[in-house]
Amino acid sequence: MRTQNATAYRFLTPYLLIFAIFWIWPIISSFIISFQATRTVPWRFAPTFNWGRLIGDPAFYNALKNTLLILVIQVPVMIALAIVMAVLLNSPLLKARGLYRFAFFAPVVVGEVAYSAVFRLMFSLDFGIVNKLLESVGISKIDWFSNVTPAMALIMIAVTWRWAGYNAIIILAGLQSIPEDVYEAATLDRVSRVKQFFYITLPLLKPVIVFCAVLSIIGTMQLFTEPFLITERGGPGGGTETLGLLLYRQGFRSLNFGYASAVAYTMAGLAIAITLVQLWLMREPK
Amino acid sequence: MAAVTLTNVVKRFGIFEVVHGANIDIADGEFVVFVGPSGCGKSTLLRMIAGLEDISGGDIAIGGKVMNDVEPADRGIAMVFQSYALYPHMTVEQNLSFGLRMNGNPKADTERRVKRAAEILRIDELMQRRPKQLSGGQRQRVAIGRAIVREPQVFLFDEPLSNLDAELRVQMRVEISRLHKELGVTMIYVTHDQTEAMTLADRIVVLKAGNVEQIGAPLDLYDDPANRFVAGFIGSPKMNFLSAKVVETTNSAAIIELAHHGGARLRKPLCETFPAVGAEVVLGVRPEHFFEAGEGDCDIPVKADVAEHLGSVSYVYANAGPEELIVEREASRQRGSGDHFTVSIKAERALLFDKAGARIR
Ligand SMILES: Nc1ncnc2c1ncn2[C@@H]1O[C@H](COP(=O)(O)OP(=O)(O)OP(=O)(O)O)[C@@H](O)[C@H]1O
Ligand SMILES: [Mg+2]
Repeated sequence: MRTQNATAYRFLTPYLLIFAIFWIWPIISSFIISFQATRTVPWRFAPTFNWGRLIGDPAFYNALKNTLLILVIQVPVMIALAIVMAVLLNSPLLKARGLYRFAFFAPVVVGEVAYSAVFRLMFSLDFGIVNKLLESVGISKIDWFSNVTPAMALIMIAVTWRWAGYNAIIILAGLQSIPEDVYEAATLDRVSRVKQFFYITLPLLKPVIVFCAVLSIIGTMQLFTEPFLITERGGPGGGTETLGLLLYRQGFRSLNFGYASAVAYTMAGLAIAITLVQLWLMREPK
Repeated sequence: MAAVTLTNVVKRFGIFEVVHGANIDIADGEFVVFVGPSGCGKSTLLRMIAGLEDISGGDIAIGGKVMNDVEPADRGIAMVFQSYALYPHMTVEQNLSFGLRMNGNPKADTERRVKRAAEILRIDELMQRRPKQLSGGQRQRVAIGRAIVREPQVFLFDEPLSNLDAELRVQMRVEISRLHKELGVTMIYVTHDQTEAMTLADRIVVLKAGNVEQIGAPLDLYDDPANRFVAGFIGSPKMNFLSAKVVETTNSAAIIELAHHGGARLRKPLCETFPAVGAEVVLGVRPEHFFEAGEGDCDIPVKADVAEHLGSVSYVYANAGPEELIVEREASRQRGSGDHFTVSIKAERALLFDKAGARIR
């Protein structure tokens, strides 16, 4: 090894050590733990103890169903919304663009607890502005927190609010990388604005959209904050419990580390699998 | 088939006026080149004809119809962009057929047009490739093909060859010339390269800072420029400019004296616009119009600085007092740095400009 490289590695050592201890080791360790029975002392190797339980656990299937439901509905809606927002942000007609860009991005930097508290207030049964608005247009008020369907909707609305702008900014960067003269050529080809969007903009944005979708899928697979804080630990009655929440409940409330590790690996495996399917579906044609 | 007429065309970007009332008549089937230095408004004019820029004043007519408020797609034009502007995600074939497909053109007709364009440009082999997989020259062909497919009455080219290397540029230039003959349609071509302008154009429009300086056939501009700018812009290497002064006028002629060459004098026939005695003027002499000592009307001694030997001709960059002259010599390949020699100017081969740059004739 050249001395220059050796010096570089010496500088990197503290980081690499921390990385190994707090990142690599937990990943390996939790994999091992997922094959151990951790409710007895000492822990012992029992491959079916956690994984066997997982396969037959209704709580797991409930959490899986909730997570996938949110994934299937919320991610496409949010990405579509983000594309619309990005196109609006990119419009030459828009004034004060910087202000909007900031406003769209702001939810990401708002503290999770504060944001959850505000959402709980806004959607509260008797005092929330959302129900007031619904009533003002003649729709009877909704009990967002006591019924499963509204509670799930609330989670999706909250997650969308928080991340749509973030995705819009990424998509905006993609939009701005499409050269203007391609649209001019299309205008000369008598292709309407709408067709330009579907036949030029969307195909050229595909890599960026895939990127956003993958990020969102991974994020949603780990969804925790919203069901924990807004619908109070997956309420009503586990109706909004996600895999992330199940993991937390098993690992840190029941201190059942083996089972929590199995759930964690299931989440990661699912995220990878879904992402691969997605990349395969959206691959460049040969 | 269509003529293109620009009448007092003005373009403003906000408060900036970048085209100041252009009047240009382009005949049906003509090949016209807009030429001028960077930023003079060539692209802006072309884009106004295409309908990609609004017209701030005046009229643009194509085929006798005023097009100011007509959609770009309805003007019967096709444009080839400097950056090609191909659809990156489509194959060559899709690029060519996209516009027709989007407009519900009958499939058989679309195929026929695409096939014909591919044949004309010899890109049949490339039909299934994407722009990324093409060389610069091939992309340019596809861009031209996309224009051909529209079967326009007028082709607009905005510096189509500026991204190509020198050799390819010459080759594509010939092809565009051939295309013009084959299709027989009106073509308007923008470039800042005067060689391209000279070789391609039926007529050249010389622009400077948003003004039309002169319109004419290439050799007319070369032999008979309207002003010093056109004289200097057309021709390579450039025309030489020598400071001079009117020292005497007679009934029919004026004597002018070169400022830096030992009182060398020339006699030019008098005309109405001739400045009075004492006025400063500029004499323009093309490099090939420096004759051997004694052959012309006045001799000036020069000292060779650098010589460029191109084979058939040599260009000698020579110093004559404070002025640097470019002298073309056919025979003398030997002339090198430091040589002293004498060149001669013929009055009828020298153009005269007043101080403001207007031609005196
Ligand atoms: N969108 C615009 N807004 C403001 N000014 C512009 C705009 N487009 C062009 N201009 C100005 O108009 C003038 C003419 O520009 P144009 O692009 O027509 O030049 P050009 O002759 O094509 O130059 P080049 O040879 O560099 O392409 C320039 O001074 C340019 O700065
Ligand atoms: Mg230009």
